[in-house]
Amino acid sequence: MDDPTQAALIRALSPRYSLQETFSEKRKRICQAIFSKRYTFEKTLIVVIYIKKNSFFFFLSSFSECKMEFIVDEGKQIHEECSTLILPALSIGNVGQLAVDLLISSMKAERIGYLDDPNVLPCVGNDAYWPVPQGNLALPLEVFDSSANALTLVQQRSPLVKGMTVEFAKNVADFVAASGKKHVYILSGLDFGRWQTIDMSSGLQIYYLSSANTDGTDDNCERLGWKRLQEYNPTQRQWMYLSTLAEGVAKQDDNLPFEDELGEEDYYPSLPFAALFSCLKAKGLNVTCLLCYCSEGDNIPDAFHLAEAACKLLGLSPNNFQGGNWIVPFSWKTVYGPPPDTSLF
Amino acid sequence: MEDVITDIPPPSRFFLEDLNNFTLPSPALPSPFLLFSTPNVKKPLCPSLLIVAMSSPSLYFCHHVSSKTLIGSLILPEIPFSGNSIGPSLRDKSCNIYALNDADNLILIVSVQYSISAERSHAVAKLLIGEQIIPERVLILDSVQSRNFRGRLSSDETYAFKLETSVERKGLDDGFGDSSLLRGLDYFPSGSVIDGLGAALLGRCQMKMIKGTLCVSWPEFGGSVMSMVKSLLLKDVLPGLEYSIDGEVEEEHSRFGPIKNHLLDSELYT
Repeated sequence: MDDPTQAALIRALSPRYSLQETFSEKRKRICQAIFSKRYTFEKTLIVVIYIKKNSFFFFLSSFSECKMEFIVDEGKQIHEECSTLILPALSIGNVGQLAVDLLISSMKAERIGYLDDPNVLPCVGNDAYWPVPQGNLALPLEVFDSSANALTLVQQRSPLVKGMTVEFAKNVADFVAASGKKHVYILSGLDFGRWQTIDMSSGLQIYYLSSANTDGTDDNCERLGWKRLQEYNPTQRQWMYLSTLAEGVAKQDDNLPFEDELGEEDYYPSLPFAALFSCLKAKGLNVTCLLCYCSEGDNIPDAFHLAEAACKLLGLSPNNFQGGNWIVPFSWKTVYGPPPDTSLF
Repeated sequence: MEDVITDIPPPSRFFLEDLNNFTLPSPALPSPFLLFSTPNVKKPLCPSLLIVAMSSPSLYFCHHVSSKTLIGSLILPEIPFSGNSIGPSLRDKSCNIYALNDADNLILIVSVQYSISAERSHAVAKLLIGEQIIPERVLILDSVQSRNFRGRLSSDETYAFKLETSVERKGLDDGFGDSSLLRGLDYFPSGSVIDGLGAALLGRCQMKMIKGTLCVSWPEFGGSVMSMVKSLLLKDVLPGLEYSIDGEVEEEHSRFGPIKNHLLDSELYT
């Protein structure tokens, strides 16, 4: 049993302290139990309580200044076996969000709570997935668990406050770090208009970016025939600048050092998936981005493609889902508006 | 786009700045705050019902409720007071808080007579629910936003839909009949969304486990929607409320148009 040495206290007081860096799995569970109803990541003082008999100590820690709050839905609980997290990044075609919709609907994942973040613009709606029971309220940032697939899914329905993408990504990273997820998968579209090397040999190619290696490669993804995002270069200035923002070394108030000379290579690190990737990586988390090129339009086929890719990587099959196959969310019936008014003809 | 031929077209569903990590945020604004006629109140107000009127018909209705007392105001520092009258007026850019004169129950009405941006909505919702005001039940009255509605909306017909928090809907499952505030209204159809302050308020109710209902009506203004909203409020929400307004004034409302005109929400016009 470690004594609460001064060094341990100083480390815990560090503003860049995170649960994953300091706690053993047992201590993490204890802290999670303390905050089982409400994760409030605001700065608090450290209270060290050493309980000799049980030979563990736990403390209410000084978290980073995350303003995202996790509220567990009434009567629901967190499923610890859901060690993998899937979340969308905002992108052209809303492909990541549509893919997560499809996964939630098909797995019949259970909503367990909400994330409240001031950087997410508010929106509400009726149940997005199933026609009954009627009137189940949908909020902008929701957390779902699929215990059968050991999966947690976060769905984001609305855009972010202007200029707060990195701030939001940091809040997400804080939440994920505290929740003990082992691996995070980010789903996102990429603009087809930016596709530099057209490769028609393999149909709708899936691209990826992983924290497994410093160059972004991942053996599991390579085995599936996917290609690492070619434009990823961790030493490229924008990727490095994003890393400094993610680590809290730089602030976004600083003038962009190279604003007048932006080139094609500066495009990818400017995208929301890159902010999530960098912030999660900065927390020492395992993260993989799954990306597919698309254009604005009917992006439902792109959503299927990305969702299928996620399942392949996770070793899941839609045939084993509760519904036995893909289930199109109920809200997709009107995703492109109502049918034309036939009285015109 | 400067050159429609060579420039890459922007995505149609997002603004370019929505998908750019390096877009600088807007300058920070001072926080909104509540101002009450009885200052230094240590305990929060705990009304049995908080009504937030945002749509033109609901603002018009609430303005003509005679049995109410002005008790405070929500101040958004960026909204100027210039042009406001001394006595509350429908033309004022204000967000006044009233208490209904009822000996048994405290009912508060918030009349939101200016547009609150989506970016400010989270902070305003936090101010109105859960800190200095802790209501048992909340009713938000807004209009259907045609840009976010995926069904058909005819300007010749009136509609009203609702969304409720889980706690408000729980009454349906308890086997005691429909105990929700607005009985008989259809739920807002799936696939369409409501954004802005109304959404922020209902979302806050859901997360705070407060009974909450958001009622959206269509069209935005006019005599027919005015009558429908008045009927809903008098029948289901405030039965027994003494409310009378002559037909000529209602006609005037239907001709006059919206109380909040987004185009005229400018400091140039006082």
